[in-house]
Amino acid sequence: MKLYDSFRSALQSLVVNKLRSALTMLGVIIGVAAVIAMVSVGNGASQSVQNTILNLGSNLVTVSPSFGNDNGLKGAGAQAQNLTLDDMRSIQDQLGASIAAAEAEQQAGRWQITAVGQNTNTSVTGVTEDYPIVRDWGLDSGAFFSTSDLNVNAQVAVLGATTATNLFGDVDPVGQTIQLRQAFGGGGQGGAAQRARILNFRVVGVLGVKGSTFGFIRDDQILVPLTTAEHVLTGRLNQVSQIVIKATSSDTMDVTTSDVSNILLQRHNIADPASADFTVTNQNDTLAALSSVTGTFTLLLGAIGGISLLVGGIGIMNIMLVSVNERTREIGIRKAVGARRGDILNQFLIEAIALTGLGGVIGILLGWAITLVVHQIPQAASIPLLITSGTVIIAVGVSVAIGVVFGLYPAMRAARLHPIQALRYE
Amino acid sequence: MIESVVQLRGITKTYRIGREITVNALRGVDLDIHPAEFVAIMGPSGSGKSTLMNVLGCLDVADGGTYVLAGEDVGKLSDNQLAGIRNKHVGFVFQTYNLLSRLNAIENVELPLVYGGDRHARRERALAALEQVGLGDRIHHRPSELSGGQQQRVAIARALLNDPSMILADEPTGNLDSRSSAEILSIFQRLNDLGKTVIMVTHEPDVAAHTKRIVRMRDGIIAHDDLVARPRRAEDEIAMGIGAAE
Repeated sequence: MKLYDSFRSALQSLVVNKLRSALTMLGVIIGVAAVIAMVSVGNGASQSVQNTILNLGSNLVTVSPSFGNDNGLKGAGAQAQNLTLDDMRSIQDQLGASIAAAEAEQQAGRWQITAVGQNTNTSVTGVTEDYPIVRDWGLDSGAFFSTSDLNVNAQVAVLGATTATNLFGDVDPVGQTIQLRQAFGGGGQGGAAQRARILNFRVVGVLGVKGSTFGFIRDDQILVPLTTAEHVLTGRLNQVSQIVIKATSSDTMDVTTSDVSNILLQRHNIADPASADFTVTNQNDTLAALSSVTGTFTLLLGAIGGISLLVGGIGIMNIMLVSVNERTREIGIRKAVGARRGDILNQFLIEAIALTGLGGVIGILLGWAITLVVHQIPQAASIPLLITSGTVIIAVGVSVAIGVVFGLYPAMRAARLHPIQALRYE
Repeated sequence: MIESVVQLRGITKTYRIGREITVNALRGVDLDIHPAEFVAIMGPSGSGKSTLMNVLGCLDVADGGTYVLAGEDVGKLSDNQLAGIRNKHVGFVFQTYNLLSRLNAIENVELPLVYGGDRHARRERALAALEQVGLGDRIHHRPSELSGGQQQRVAIARALLNDPSMILADEPTGNLDSRSSAEILSIFQRLNDLGKTVIMVTHEPDVAAHTKRIVRMRDGIIAHDDLVARPRRAEDEIAMGIGAAE
C-alpha cells in the first residue's frame, strides 16, 4: 500500500468523523499552544533580562574592592577601600590597545541640587573621562569632561537627562551653573544648628536617555570628575568604589579578566590570588548565571505545556482505540482483499499522526495568537515575545512523535486482528 | 491432466472452544477443483463448510494436510504471505457484501489494487469490472445508496479486479430476494462461461442447482461429491420472470 493511499484513507476517516476529530485534536492543539506560548514568554523574559544587563554597557569587566585577608583574618566588618585611580591608570597603561576603555567611579552620595530656582535631590558619582565609551552612553549636548578636568579637580558636571529636565526644563543646561548642597553637623531637631556646604558646578554636558535598570532610573544622576568627587565632595582619597574595563569583544573578556587581576595583584603585592583584596566580575559570567536562571524558568514553563501535550496524546490513544474497535469489520475486509499487517498498521498510525500533526499546526497558530494577546498586557509589553523556529520545530516534532507513540498501540491492535474474527465482528 | 486450482489433501482443522471443548471442524478433507469449474459446497450447520471456506480462502490455516493453491503450497506461509495470496488468487464475495461504507462503488472495487498488483490503470480496471457486472452508471454511489443486489454486484466487481484464480462466494444470495439472486447467479454463470473458477458455499439446493458440481459436507468430511447433470441457467429464469430460488 502506497503512502498516498494511506494518507487519503486517513484523511477521509478524519473528515467523516469531523466533530470527533476536532475534539480529539483539541487536546494536542491546547498542548502545543501552551508550549509555544509559555516558551516564547520564557524566552522573551530571558532576552529582556539580557538586554537589561547589556544596557549597562557591553563586554564589561568590573573590579570592586573586597575584604582584605590578613593571615586568614578577613577585614573586620567594613568593606576595604583599596582600589585607587592609579590602579585604573595602571590598567590603562599596561593593557593599552588590548582593551577598549576603562574608567573608575566613586559614589559621592546624594546631594540637594539647585539651579535657577529649581531644585532636586539626586546621586552624584565621580567618574573618569572614558565613562561614555565604557558605558556605551552618548551625550545629548555638550561634551564629557576630559583628563585635564580630572587633573585640576575641576568643578564641572554632566547631567543625566532626567536631572537636566528637572532642573532646567527645556533650556539647554550646558554652560549653566548648579549648586550642590549637603547638610552636615548639628542634629535633626534644631534646624538652625545645621550648616550646609554649597558648591558651584558648571554644567558641561547632558547624557542621552538610557532608561532604567532593575528599577534604578539611571537618567537621574550627576557625573563629576572622579578627582573632584574625592577632593571636593567626599574627602575620601584613593578610594574608588569600582573600576570598569571594557574588553574589545566578548571573546577577549576572559583574557582581560585575568590580565586585570594579575596587574592588581602585582600592584597590591599579593602573591596568592585567593587572598586578593578585590573582586573581578566578568559580565559574561553574570549573563551566564542569569540565563541559567531564565533557562530553568523557560524549561519549567515548557514542562507545564508538555504535560498538557501528554494529556492530549492520551486522548488520541483513547479515540484511536475506539476507532479501531468501530472499524474492526473494515479491517477484516481490507485483510481479506490482501492488506498486510504493515498496511493496516500504517493506515491507523498515519491517521493518528495526521490528527496530531494537524493539531500541532493549529496549536502553533493558537500559541502565536496567545503571545500576541499577552503582548497587549502592559506589564508584559516590555518583554520581547520570541517564537523561534526551534520552538516551532520542536512543537511539531513532539506532536508528531505523540501521534506515533500514542497511535502505535491502537494501530498494532488493528494490525494483529485475525481476518475471520474481524469479518464476523458485528 | 489439467493442473488443479485447488488441491486439498487430508486437511484437518480443530477449534478449541474455551478450555475443555474441542471441535473437529475438518477431519481429513481431500478435494480437487479444476480451472473453470463452478462448485457448490453444501452442508448443514456445523458440517465444516465455513471452515473449509476459510481454509480455501487462506483466511485460516489448516492444522494438518496440504493445500496447494494455483501450484503454491500455502500451508507454511506467514500472515503477510497469506495476505499476498488472498490479494492475488482469491476473490471474496460475502453474504453481507462487506463493502466499506465510507467509499463509493468504484473506490470499493479498487481496494484489492491498493494492496497489490498493477497499480497503473487502477481506475480503468475498476470501471471495466463494474461495467462487467452492469453497474457502469453507479460508480460514484455509496453502498448505502445501492440495493442489496447492486451492492453484491459491486462486491463481485471487487472480487474480479485482480483477476484471481478463483472466486470464493459465501452464501452470496443469502440476503437477496429471488430476482436479485437470479441476477447474481447469472453473473457467476457468465463469469464461469468465460473460464473463471467459482466456488460457492450455500445451503439452498435451488441455488446449488445452478452450479456444475455439488460437494456435500457432513461432520467435517466430504460426504458426497456429484456433478450436476443439467445446471439451471439463471438467465433463462430471469427471462421467464421467475426467481432462482423459487
